[in-house]
Amino acid sequence: MNEYELLSPYTAKALEYVLALSYLLLFIPFWRFVQGEAVPVHALGFGWFQVPNGVHLHVGHAWARPEGGAVEVGLDDFAHKLVGPLETVRLPEIGAPVRQGQKAFTIVAGGQPLDVLSPVDGHVVAVNEAVRAHPADALRDPYGAGWLMKVEPRWLTGNLKNLFSGDAARRFLDAAAGKLAQRLTPQLGVVLQDGGTPVHGIARALDEDHWDELARQFLEGK
Amino acid sequence: MSEHALKPALFGGPSMRENLFLGMTFRAYLKSLLTPANAIAAAILLAGLPTIAYRFWKGLGAVTNLSQTNAWGLWVAFDVVCGVALAAGGYTVACAVYIFGQKALRPILRPAILTGFLGYALVLFGLVVDLGQPWRLPYQFFLTPGTTSVMYEVGWCVFLYLMVLGLEFAPAALEWLGLVKLRRLLGSLTIGIIVIGVTLSTLHQSSLGAFFLMTPGKLHPLWYSPFLPVFFFVSSLAAGIGMVVVESALSHRAFRDRLDPAASVDLDRITLSLAKGGAIVLFAYFFIRLQGLVASGRFDLLATGWGAWYLFEMLGFILLPSFVFAFAARRKSARLARIAGVLTVLGVILNRFNVSLIAFNWNVPDRYVPSAGEVITSLTIVTIGVLIFRWIVNRMPVVNEHPDWRGAH
Repeated sequence: MNEYELLSPYTAKALEYVLALSYLLLFIPFWRFVQGEAVPVHALGFGWFQVPNGVHLHVGHAWARPEGGAVEVGLDDFAHKLVGPLETVRLPEIGAPVRQGQKAFTIVAGGQPLDVLSPVDGHVVAVNEAVRAHPADALRDPYGAGWLMKVEPRWLTGNLKNLFSGDAARRFLDAAAGKLAQRLTPQLGVVLQDGGTPVHGIARALDEDHWDELARQFLEGK
Repeated sequence: MSEHALKPALFGGPSMRENLFLGMTFRAYLKSLLTPANAIAAAILLAGLPTIAYRFWKGLGAVTNLSQTNAWGLWVAFDVVCGVALAAGGYTVACAVYIFGQKALRPILRPAILTGFLGYALVLFGLVVDLGQPWRLPYQFFLTPGTTSVMYEVGWCVFLYLMVLGLEFAPAALEWLGLVKLRRLLGSLTIGIIVIGVTLSTLHQSSLGAFFLMTPGKLHPLWYSPFLPVFFFVSSLAAGIGMVVVESALSHRAFRDRLDPAASVDLDRITLSLAKGGAIVLFAYFFIRLQGLVASGRFDLLATGWGAWYLFEMLGFILLPSFVFAFAARRKSARLARIAGVLTVLGVILNRFNVSLIAFNWNVPDRYVPSAGEVITSLTIVTIGVLIFRWIVNRMPVVNEHPDWRGAH
C-alpha cells in the first residue's frame, strides 16, 4: 500500500470543511475565554458619557456653547459623573475676566474643592443662580439647565479651535473613559455596563482615599 | 554598576575600562568572572572548541555519526532548523511593535532582537561547522547559484536577514559607542529595516518547511504534508512568542541590577499580553496541523507507535501550551504564562526534531543517533550564544534604555 495515498477527494474535502467549520466555531468561545472578564473600554465610551452636537469640550472637561453674543459654560457629563453630586459651586463675580486654560470656578464635591479651567477667554456676564442654590441638580441636565456661567468672549474663533466638538468630542470622552477603565475593578464595571444604574462619583468608587487627586488630574486636562 | 555602563562609551566616553571591564580594574574584572556558571561554560568550551577544530581538521566522519543514509544529523536539526525557529522572537516582537503598533512590548524589543541576531549568527556558525570549508559559503550566491533549490532561497534569506538583524540591533551598539550621527541615521531607517526583516523571516521560516517537501519518501507520513511551509511559518510565530516569554523572564532575573529603577517595566503585564497571542497562535496551529492529517488521510497510522508519538506532540506540546497560555491570560497569572512559554519552546524543538531527525528516515534500518562530539558541539554553540548575550547586555543599552535616547526608534 502506498504510504502517501490520499482519501477520495469527496471524503477529504468533506472532512476539511468540517474541520475548518469546527475551528471557527471553537475559536469564538476560545477567543472570549482568552480575553477574560476585563471591562471592555468601548462599553464605557458612547452612550455612557454624553455630549450633544454644538457643545465644545475643553481638555479640563468644561464645555462651551456659543449662544447669541455670549458663550454658555458648564461642566461636562464625564466630570459630573466623575466627581459625583456637587455640594457647592463657587462662581466668579459678574465682570470678572476668565482665560482659556486657566482657573474659572471651583466646585466642591465630597468635601473636596476642585478647580475647573475656563474653556474660553472673555469676561463673565451671568452666573446660574439656580445651580448656585441647588448645585446637585446640575447633574440632571449638564448641557442645558446645568450651565454654570455665561461669558462674553474675547477671541471666540481662536478659542474654539482648541476645543473638541462633534465626533472629536465623543472620541475625547471615549479616551477619558479608557483612562478610567484601566483603573476599574470588575465589580464597578458591571455597575457601569448594566446601563440602568448610574454611578455618581466614579472617582470616589475607584479610590476612596485619593479620589480627589484622580479627579484633579482629569479636570486639569492631564 | 549599571550607571557606569549607561554612560556613552569608547569614543568620547570616560574610559575604556568602565565600558569593557564594567568599571572594575582588569584584575577585579577577571576575579568577578569566577562563578559556578562560568565554570560550567568554560568546561563546555574546553571540550567543544577542540572538537570543532578537530571536525574541520579531520572531516565530518571523525566527529559525527553521519552516513550516506543519514546525511543530516543533530547539527542540521538543532543548530539550523531549531535555531532558526527559536530565533523568531526578533521578527515576532518587531512586527508586533512597529507594524501592529503594540507599543507596550517596546521594553522587550531589544532583548528579542539581540536574541534573534545571535540566534541567526549561531545558525550560520552551526551551518558552517556542518558544511565545512567556510570559504566556499559565497559560492551558492555568486559562483554556482542553484536557483531551483529551496536552499538557495534559504541561504539568501538567512544571509540578508542576518545583516538586517545586525542593523536592527546596531542602534544599541551605536548608543553604547556614543556615535550619535550614525545612530540618528539608523533610527530614521527603522521602519524600512523592520519591514524587510519581517518579509525575509516570513520567507525563510516557511522555506525551511518547504525544504522537507522534497523528502516524501523519507519523512513519516504523519509529519510529511504539502502544508509543511505553513506549519513551519505558523509554529515559528509560536516559537517567537514562547522564546520571548522565557527569555525576558530569565534576563529580567539575571540582569536585575541593570534595570533602570526610574523606568519600571511591568514585565508581568507584557508577558500576559504575549500569552494571549501565544494561546491564539497555538490554537490555530493545532487546527492547521489537523488539516494536514486530514489531507493525508492516514488516520490508521494514529494507532501505531508513531501515532502515539504524533499525538504526544500535538496534544502535549501544541494544544496543552495553548490552553495553559489561555488560562494564564484569563487568570492573569504571569507564572502560568511562563510555564506555557517553556512548553511552547519545547514543543517547537520537538516538532523540528521530529521533522528533521526522529521521524526522518524512520523506515531505514540504519537509524541515526548523534555522537558525543555532535552533542558537545551543539552545546558549545549555545554556550557561546549565552556568553555573547551576557557580554552585550552587561554593556549596551538592551534591557534598559540609554538616557539620551529614551523613546527613540
